[in-house]
Amino acid sequence: MRRAWPLLVLVALAVAVLLVRGLDPAHLEPEVAWAGPSPAHPLGCAEAGADVLSVVAASLVRGIALAACVALTGFGIGVPLGALVVYRRGVAERAVLRVCDLLQAFPSFLLALVILAAVRSPSRVHLYFVFALTAWAPFARLAIVEGRVLREAAFVEAARALGRSAGQIVRLHIVPNLLPTTLVQLGSTASAIVVSEAALSFVGFGPKDGVSLGALIDQGVVSMQRAPHVLACGALAVFVSSRVLLYAASRPSAEGA
Amino acid sequence: MRAPSIRELRAGLWATARALGEALLVLVVLATIAFLALRILPGDPAALVLGDHASEVERAALREKLHLDEPMWLQYARFLRGLATLDLGDSLRRPGTSAFGRVGQALVPTATLAATSVGFGTFFGISAALLAVGPWLGSRRVWVERLLEGLAATPLLSFAPLLTYLLAVRFRVVPLPADPDAGAAGLLFAAGLLAVPLGAHVGRTTRAALSRIRRAPFLAVAVAKGLSPLRVWGLHALPTVAGPVLTVVATQLGALLGGAVVLERLFERPGLGLLVLEAYTTRDVPVLEAAIVAGGAMFVLAQGAATILHAAIDPRVSSS
Repeated sequence: MRRAWPLLVLVALAVAVLLVRGLDPAHLEPEVAWAGPSPAHPLGCAEAGADVLSVVAASLVRGIALAACVALTGFGIGVPLGALVVYRRGVAERAVLRVCDLLQAFPSFLLALVILAAVRSPSRVHLYFVFALTAWAPFARLAIVEGRVLREAAFVEAARALGRSAGQIVRLHIVPNLLPTTLVQLGSTASAIVVSEAALSFVGFGPKDGVSLGALIDQGVVSMQRAPHVLACGALAVFVSSRVLLYAASRPSAEGA
Repeated sequence: MRAPSIRELRAGLWATARALGEALLVLVVLATIAFLALRILPGDPAALVLGDHASEVERAALREKLHLDEPMWLQYARFLRGLATLDLGDSLRRPGTSAFGRVGQALVPTATLAATSVGFGTFFGISAALLAVGPWLGSRRVWVERLLEGLAATPLLSFAPLLTYLLAVRFRVVPLPADPDAGAAGLLFAAGLLAVPLGAHVGRTTRAALSRIRRAPFLAVAVAKGLSPLRVWGLHALPTVAGPVLTVVATQLGALLGGAVVLERLFERPGLGLLVLEAYTTRDVPVLEAAIVAGGAMFVLAQGAATILHAAIDPRVSSS
């Protein structure tokens, strides 16, 4: 986990910015709307004079927190589930694997739209449930694929011979050995969630508080000609946060597939 | 080519039936989620459609029109029949036009965009993979690999608006895709943007698959016959990795559809994405349901096409 430092630095910076400047979404200075970077507003201003630096910091913190929650939930559900069905073998294993295949290729964007459409004003809690609905699939899939080798290992057989129950074997012998690969997936899931959240808010399905990188990019697109800095900041922030999350969980010797 | 035996035919039929069944299942599940989400989640759809200021009489009238006053099972049966007959009722915003009619109109531009970018993406990805394994670039092949990895990890949302600003607004190299005069150039630009992540994924997978067979005897034979590297890699190696390439295209379809929605919003390009957005903001329930089912159907169809294509290209698939 030595590679987590860029993520920690980014979050610490964002929190520091929030503490120093304080983000009050209601704090607007209409007279400096769309103004370029200046000493008072290092990244310039957006619609109605909102400070871009504060908006980016607040969106980063909230987006990364959401992504971390979703990824951890997916991890917490997917890995034990996958480990259990792969240890038990049989129909359940094949069924879970098939569901994972379908969910992973599924247009999750559509699913999110369906569920958010029914909510009057979506918040991050709703987004969390929508994303968590499919986030467990890659973890379960990885656990099953890796577990097929693990369940034949000598130490698993030894544990069985010693009279350990299935639950104990899964908990003490299979899940711990699945951690190295599934932790990498934690990063890719979190990074995908940050991007999806931004994409949903860009399209107009985001949290209604409007504090999101996607909403910022949307403003930037509208004001492309007057104030290109808004667009640049939003796009860059999405890129940096997704890359940093991906990097945090990757392994130094990771070779491409 | 010998004629397939009865047993092979039966296996093929069985596989097709299973694929069809699965596709249907995905569609029904998606439609059911759409149905339930709009009815079970807290909040009265009639109030959502009409707003808070509507009178109780108006709401009751709308509930009756949408059949929301009926028991749930009857609503569901009506919904399933509507799906089967492609008739989910009229659009609430544009009375007189059917929901599926509006969706059908919007589906064409989105499907065109998605199909074009699948074509672009596969072409770019395969060319990049060939460059990364072939002898043309020498030791600089690693660069192609790094470029592909970088592109695969770059979200569409972060580069598409920036590139649009630079190319279409600042330097005016390409027309804005929403510009009615832009025509094919606008479509090509939008499809090119959408093809970048897809191409990167295709490129990475193809490169990995090609380097696995690098030392295969049949390639050594092709080289020994004195064929040019392009023939060796393009004609002899490439068809054997059709499977992984098609699989990666199929798994990226969902992301592609999401990307298409983002681009439609970015360019204000009419299509399924904008229709869903409009139906969402105006709470046009029938259109929303129809659009979601149609989007799912497009996805399922494309995936099925990938499976069939794979079996057609690679004879090892159907015999297994």
